[in-house]
Amino acid sequence: MIILEDNHLGFDFPEIHAEARCAIDFQRTLRIPDDGRDYPLPPGLGSFPLRHLDDYAARLPESWRVRGGVIAPMHQAEAMWINFQSDYPFAVKVATGKICAITGDSWVDRLNRDPQDYVVLPEQPWLDGYCVEEGVVRQFVAMPLGEGYTVEEQLTGAGLHGGIQLVAYPMKAGHYEALRSERDGLRDHVIKMAEPELAPMPAMGLAPGGRMKQEIDDDPYGLDAWGQRHGSRCFITLLNSVQWMAVTGERPPTEPPTAQNYAALGLPWFDYYGGDARAVAGSEKLRGLKSVVQQAKGTGQAPPPDNESIVVPDVIPLGKPRTRPVRESMV
Amino acid sequence: MTLFGPTTRAIRERLYEEDRRYSVRQVAGRVGIEPAYLSKIERGEVSPPSEVTTVRLAKELGQDPDVMLALAGKVSADLQAIIRKRPRLFADLIRQLKEAPDEAVLRVVREVRDGDW
Repeated sequence: MIILEDNHLGFDFPEIHAEARCAIDFQRTLRIPDDGRDYPLPPGLGSFPLRHLDDYAARLPESWRVRGGVIAPMHQAEAMWINFQSDYPFAVKVATGKICAITGDSWVDRLNRDPQDYVVLPEQPWLDGYCVEEGVVRQFVAMPLGEGYTVEEQLTGAGLHGGIQLVAYPMKAGHYEALRSERDGLRDHVIKMAEPELAPMPAMGLAPGGRMKQEIDDDPYGLDAWGQRHGSRCFITLLNSVQWMAVTGERPPTEPPTAQNYAALGLPWFDYYGGDARAVAGSEKLRGLKSVVQQAKGTGQAPPPDNESIVVPDVIPLGKPRTRPVRESMV
Repeated sequence: MTLFGPTTRAIRERLYEEDRRYSVRQVAGRVGIEPAYLSKIERGEVSPPSEVTTVRLAKELGQDPDVMLALAGKVSADLQAIIRKRPRLFADLIRQLKEAPDEAVLRVVREVRDGDW
């Protein structure tokens, strides 16, 4: 069961375990430079608003209504990251335009281990982009469907879905009870700063932006640990700011500061150490995609503005540092 | 006496002040009962009408049929069928929610719908 509360999606599985719940929200952030360099993690600037799609169904096209789920606003070329909050272990699949953000494969309603197509909570506190290499993601950046930028269009040749798709599977109760005494927990790099049906609308999708350092932890539990009969899914339909105002009557959040302005003010960036967890290798399919800037240059279009390279002034480490085993004495 | 009769009368008379089509005679005609019977219902001289008539009356007066059925001391047949199908589960659920505040109940009934994608 999924409920929407304070712009968070709450996934709750009381039928599995009293503690089997997690919350997922989508954080506004600045767009990191798309210049081929690896940047640290940008901040969270607050949650994107989420609303029940059904509350605005009369103003949305039928092809969107059938998806259910929620709607969220994003400005063109705005970036986001996904924030996971859970004490209970979950396996969560994340796709954009029904393309897996970890493997680049088409959406299927089950978990796959080889290659791993999901993240494991609470070990993975957030996901900022597409897993293109071990320890490197390309940032999620909103672009309109139909212009060839999104991952979906680059891999399938068509922009049919857009948006974000999630499914969360809780750990089986027996596995959790066995684990319970060994666990610990984690991030909050969120800086608290801050009626007639419309004509068919171009949907928004997500495209690969600049590179940043982020590891996707390898699943330490194995497929058998996850209660795959009990998954809950959600489609997050993305609206641009004009669509959002027309549909909900609300103003979307203002555009976030540019990376240049943020860096010039000396505000912090982040790095996360996930302890001893191994990282997944990254997807060949996703690695071969063009970033927003590469795609714009390749098609003779102007890339989104305000994306010049920057020098990151200050990086705050988060989480547990990786430990290096100490060799035992021979005596 | 239930609150059904006086509530129905109060709602109908409020509507009648704005629109003369909400007289006893005309409302009864649209719902498909005798005016004298509606008058007796409103005065609480007879028991609330059948489920079908209660639902028709609720719709005619712009009220929620489930709320009007509750005022009449009834539970709709479709809800009864749902409870009969899984009696223990729904009995537990309803008892657990008995003292819960509205927002807690809303959390139970307001699920994010998963559609076809």
